Amino acid sequence: MRYLRAFFGFWYDFLVGDRPELFAGPIAALILAWLTVRANLAAPLSGVLLFVLVATIGSLSIAWAIRD
Amino acid sequence: MEVQDNTPDPKYGPSASMAGMSSIALVTVLSSFLASAVEFVEAVTIVLAVGVTRQWRSTLIGVIAALAALTLLVAIFGTAIVVFVPIDVVRIVVGGFLLIYGLGWLTKAVLRAGGARAKHDEAAIYEREIAALRAEPPVSATGMDWISFTVAAKGVLLEGLEVAFIVITFGASAGMVGPAALGAAAAGALVLGVAVLVHRPLASVPENGLKFAVGVMLTGFGTFWAGEGVGIDWPAGDATILALLAGYAALAIVGVYLVQARLTNRQLRAATSPAED
Repeated sequence: MRYLRAFFGFWYDFLVGDRPELFAGPIAALILAWLTVRANLAAPLSGVLLFVLVATIGSLSIAWAIRD
Repeated sequence: MEVQDNTPDPKYGPSASMAGMSSIALVTVLSSFLASAVEFVEAVTIVLAVGVTRQWRSTLIGVIAALAALTLLVAIFGTAIVVFVPIDVVRIVVGGFLLIYGLGWLTKAVLRAGGARAKHDEAAIYEREIAALRAEPPVSATGMDWISFTVAAKGVLLEGLEVAFIVITFGASAGMVGPAALGAAAAGALVLGVAVLVHRPLASVPENGLKFAVGVMLTGFGTFWAGEGVGIDWPAGDATILALLAGYAALAIVGVYLVQARLTNRQLRAATSPAED
């Protein structure tokens, strides 16, 4: 049990770390992009949307880091 | 288990043409090389500190053990992902991880460049490691020094895991684990060679600048591949990668200036507020 906790703890630190928004944000952005693709939104728009969402998540994370 | 035909999509993938293939391979090697170089510089700092303060033989055995474990990891997981997992799933999951990981690197690099986060200082880390190792019990006159072995192996394994992660994610998404591993191996050989020659931590390597460039690359490629995975039909094919890289690089540079401006404003406010009281 201790090893299992350490294993998952390691991967949590590795991927999520102290900025969970940088883990959850891109996943949410990809889900939104997938939904726009499913809704037959024009292809370039889905791509632009993904780029804008990723850039927004990064910007927000930086803004929060400075505020902290 | 069904073996997947992960031949890249002829419209976008590396098989579109020899030129397309070589350019993707080149970018894969370059990205893997830069990312790995940064991690190897950090690993070399730890290895040097252990070797200089304790025992080189046990330190090098620890390094070899860690490198063997990492090679095995890349070979097993890299091959398994490429051979058994459908390319669309690889691109969503692995491309998604690349995007998450790259965005983390990029935001940290922006904060470092803007002065909001301490820059990586290999010389200071080296001194700290040496001080910590000197506090350990003395090295036995004969036989294996397990402290040297453990600290060196752990350092190389932890830094190397990031290299393995990048090689597997980058290589699997592009269907090019080989070129990605080649880039990482070349970086390892170069960093190790220089460290052996100069025999001190590679503090003059522009680590923070490299991390900035790697962050842009990982985020750009992660967006492209994960986007393809969710079904985005990128209008310009592979050329979209260049647009994504340029876009993220431009935004990151703007971000550095905004962080600097924010910190300067805060310092000015802090300096003027006591006078107002």
